[in-house]
Amino acid sequence: MSDDDVARLLRSDAPLVVIEAPAGCGKTYQGAGYAKDCATAEQRGRLLVLAHTHAACGVFRERTRGTGSKVEIKTVASLAVEIASAYHIPLELPHQVEAWARMGGEGGFDAVAQKCANFLTRHRMIACALARRYPVVICDEHQDCTADQHAILMALHASGVKLRVFTDPLQRIYTGKTSKEAKTDAARWEALKAQGAHAVLDFPHRWRTGSLELGKWVLEARAALLNGQPVVIPAKRPVGLNVIVANNQAKARAQLQLDNRKPVDHVMMGGDQILVLTASNEMADAITAFTNRRVGVWEGHTRDALTALVDVLQSKNGDAEAVAGALVAFVGGVGVGFSMSTHGTRLMEEIKDGCCKPTKGKPACIQDMAKAILAEPNHVGASKALKLLKDFIEQKQNGFDTVKIDYRAEFGEAVRLGAFPTPEDGLGEMMRRRAHFRRALPDRVVSTIHKAKGLECRNAMLIPCDSGFGNTYYSRCRLYVALSRASDTLTLVVPSSGGSPLLKIE
Amino acid sequence: MSAAAMVHRLRIERFRGLKEFDWRPKAGMNVILGGGDMGKTTILDALALLFSPTNGTTVSETDYWQRDTDQEFVIEATVSLPESAGIENQRRMAYPWHWDDKQAVLPTGADGEEVEVGAPVYVIRVRGTTDLEPSWEVVQPDGVIDHLSVGVRRQIGLVRLSSDERNDRDLRLVYGSALDRLLADQGFRARIGKEMAKVPLDKELGQESRKALTSLSDKMGKNRLPTGLTLGLTSGQGPSIGSLIGLLAQHQGKDIPLSSWGAGTRRMAALEVASTTAGNASPTTIDEIERGLEPYRLRKLIGILESTKGQVFLTTHSAVAIACVGQQGHLWYLDGKGNIGHLPAAKIEVQQRRDPETFLAKLAVVGEGKTEVGLLNFLLGKAFNGNPLDEGVRICDGQGSSAVLDLLETFAEANLECAGLVDDEGEKLGRWKALKATMGDRLLQWPKVATEGFIITAIPDEKLEELVENDEEGLTGYRMRSLAERLGIEAKDWSSIKAALTAKQKSLKALIIEAATGATDGASDKDKKAWKKHAQNWFKRDGGGEELAAKMVSLGAWPKVKDTILPLINAILAAVDRSSITGLPT
Repeated sequence: MSDDDVARLLRSDAPLVVIEAPAGCGKTYQGAGYAKDCATAEQRGRLLVLAHTHAACGVFRERTRGTGSKVEIKTVASLAVEIASAYHIPLELPHQVEAWARMGGEGGFDAVAQKCANFLTRHRMIACALARRYPVVICDEHQDCTADQHAILMALHASGVKLRVFTDPLQRIYTGKTSKEAKTDAARWEALKAQGAHAVLDFPHRWRTGSLELGKWVLEARAALLNGQPVVIPAKRPVGLNVIVANNQAKARAQLQLDNRKPVDHVMMGGDQILVLTASNEMADAITAFTNRRVGVWEGHTRDALTALVDVLQSKNGDAEAVAGALVAFVGGVGVGFSMSTHGTRLMEEIKDGCCKPTKGKPACIQDMAKAILAEPNHVGASKALKLLKDFIEQKQNGFDTVKIDYRAEFGEAVRLGAFPTPEDGLGEMMRRRAHFRRALPDRVVSTIHKAKGLECRNAMLIPCDSGFGNTYYSRCRLYVALSRASDTLTLVVPSSGGSPLLKIE
Repeated sequence: MSAAAMVHRLRIERFRGLKEFDWRPKAGMNVILGGGDMGKTTILDALALLFSPTNGTTVSETDYWQRDTDQEFVIEATVSLPESAGIENQRRMAYPWHWDDKQAVLPTGADGEEVEVGAPVYVIRVRGTTDLEPSWEVVQPDGVIDHLSVGVRRQIGLVRLSSDERNDRDLRLVYGSALDRLLADQGFRARIGKEMAKVPLDKELGQESRKALTSLSDKMGKNRLPTGLTLGLTSGQGPSIGSLIGLLAQHQGKDIPLSSWGAGTRRMAALEVASTTAGNASPTTIDEIERGLEPYRLRKLIGILESTKGQVFLTTHSAVAIACVGQQGHLWYLDGKGNIGHLPAAKIEVQQRRDPETFLAKLAVVGEGKTEVGLLNFLLGKAFNGNPLDEGVRICDGQGSSAVLDLLETFAEANLECAGLVDDEGEKLGRWKALKATMGDRLLQWPKVATEGFIITAIPDEKLEELVENDEEGLTGYRMRSLAERLGIEAKDWSSIKAALTAKQKSLKALIIEAATGATDGASDKDKKAWKKHAQNWFKRDGGGEELAAKMVSLGAWPKVKDTILPLINAILAAVDRSSITGLPT
């Protein structure tokens, strides 16, 4: 369907419109344009835009600037939290639902969504009240909705909300990882399509400034992947698509050692911009090491190591040994060269002995860190110790010159944690700030595919395209996300044999 | 979602004379009765404050219970609102509660089937803070308090007709008035303001005045003050331009402000404007509905109000108004302690139609029938040494035992002060017993007999002929005939009657009692009706009770009956703060 037709369909009176939106085909433009029109139209109530990540919310906010309070933009998770907070008493949740959910990890927010969905289904009046506030709802990235989040949407729709859904079934990389889940998701998708008006965006806008041939090839790849076929890389490559054959010869896991290093280096360091994509966090760390940290790691929005640290600091407040142990684990998670064997054991000893031995050099530095923790065996002391560590690294102190912090933003946030009354408060506040401040992608950066979703750039490289991309729906999605990021050039690094069954290189 | 705004529950704490007030009004028309200074107007004023369409309402020290401004007052309502009120559209979302017929409750349970529910309700309130400022709030299900915006209150659009104002607010373009909402033209005032600013007022000035202005301008210039003075419409403190604009109507060919018409017409017009807006669904409060209206217009108005969709709250002191509240209306009684009780139509309907003043008394004394009413008239006249009505004690005819039972039960439940004098018909013993337990000495039910029976029994035998005799009203003959008929004899003279009595071994007293009560035992079928009617010639007639009472005293029956009757009389006296009596003053 042409872009104009899609725009018309969005603005029609149809109660449910589902727009299938391949990457880079102007979905955000359509969505934000419709949002702006809705906001300026004379109508009761407001427009609600639901996205999945705070970054995506940021994009919509930017594009709908000036509409004031007529547009509300939130994540589905926060909507569920709001509803659950209002009714936290019958739902048997604590008053601070958001904090509770965050500390429960993924289970936390999922549990909130589930309770909220059940509650809305049971009490129609609440969905009706919400429908009066939000007569029109746009749901972005619907493929990332969990079953419960989808149920919340459908409850609103059943109460009269005009629903506009943007989705790409081939970018479902956050849910539906097992084949069983994939099946239920597929069924849900079919049901949704059947219920409303359905249209597909089909012009590769993203590639207009780069290589349109590449963009069209990506759409063909998409069709193949949706059809259960492999992606064909034709002998006459579309402009911008390159293939490098290189094998990873590292013996240990999570390390990268290529036999054909030069062309890869050239792509990574030669141009002015490159986004290196890979499947796992470990491989991302390996790649940054491979480039001697000249290509940094894109941290995205998750803070796994920091969340784990906050968890311990919150629960083991006052226990100096636990705090020290958590600190060591944290640094190990965000960098290299600092572990139990290198520094941690000594740290624990100093804590146990009370820092009474006179020392010099590296042990003295470790003792300083221990003193900070002993003085305040809580998040304040931990932050102070981390600040000391940061200084030691920067000053290249003896024994700290091999310590490298890869996840600098996360590390920095841990250092700032001490300024807050509780570690949970600090985590929450920093997440809020992160949500509003949308960092631009650095010129040279390596990222997991998951953290790169939604981003765009001019040049990308996918390494390695190996058997890790198996013949599962989940892998197809991951592959598609990776292929569709860059508008100018895309470089695939494939092994000479045993590569991904999803790629057919001619 | 409901079509009209409705108050399901109103709680008032420490507002003016109401310390603790908790009421669940009904849909439709709610008529509040009660003695003076009990708080009827306060209830309406509380609603008006809660739904005030402006933020400029001030609260004064006298609005606080016992003028203690260190304690806040709260006026809280559980309401269902129409979509047009837009309560879900405030800056922060307002979440609904369930109404379980008694209070707002949280919807329960996270799992399970869909729950059928009536209208969702919201809990809103206005607090009088210790700084003498009103604060309008929405109470959320999680206990969080959010602001209730003036916009929502304006949209609810309460129509208020108070008894002391000119009642023309809704006929003028004041912000949020019914006329304003009817015209729904946001920019109108601004455009009018512009237009008026353009009017060249100084062209109307005379020569001299214009010269004066010019020289003033010069003088100001010399003192470095603003110059170029002219005249025009200035805005400022006080009435807005909207309040000066109102409806005009034709009167004898000229356009006259509608607010110049009489009070009754103004009120009815204001209600018309309000009912045309908002599809007839705004809540309405009217203090003293009868004000300025003749009975025929009052009836018409009540009829109109009963058919509106919105909830209506009225106070009245008018018997006419009470009488014409129909099936869709509800009567309530507010007592001196802030309790408000429902008077269900089914139980009071007959009395409501026939003698609506019953509900306006300070103390209603209900007699079962004409005899009892007459007896009470006599006794209370003596006890009060004047007209008991002057103290709000009203003697009412309850139209029969069953009706009186319903009426007294309703009054007792609604805490309406009442007293009763009834016969013992041997029925509904449980209910009478319960009522007696509640009312104590204020209920007198003759033991096992009717009024006539009790009193006549106390009259000495030798005085019986005097009892029967009533030549002044020409009833002696009829009475003698009724006695003769019951004996089955033709002759109506005393000796024949006495002879027949001896033959039947019946006492004269018993016969008289039977005749006076219209007893039908022993009558043939064709005589039953006639025998029943005998009572109307004795004491079951207007004036009959008084006659019986007077004779009770003059014929010497009083000493025997006084111990039974005095508790009732004294209870009535005590209820109006008069001292009790030990005997009847002569």
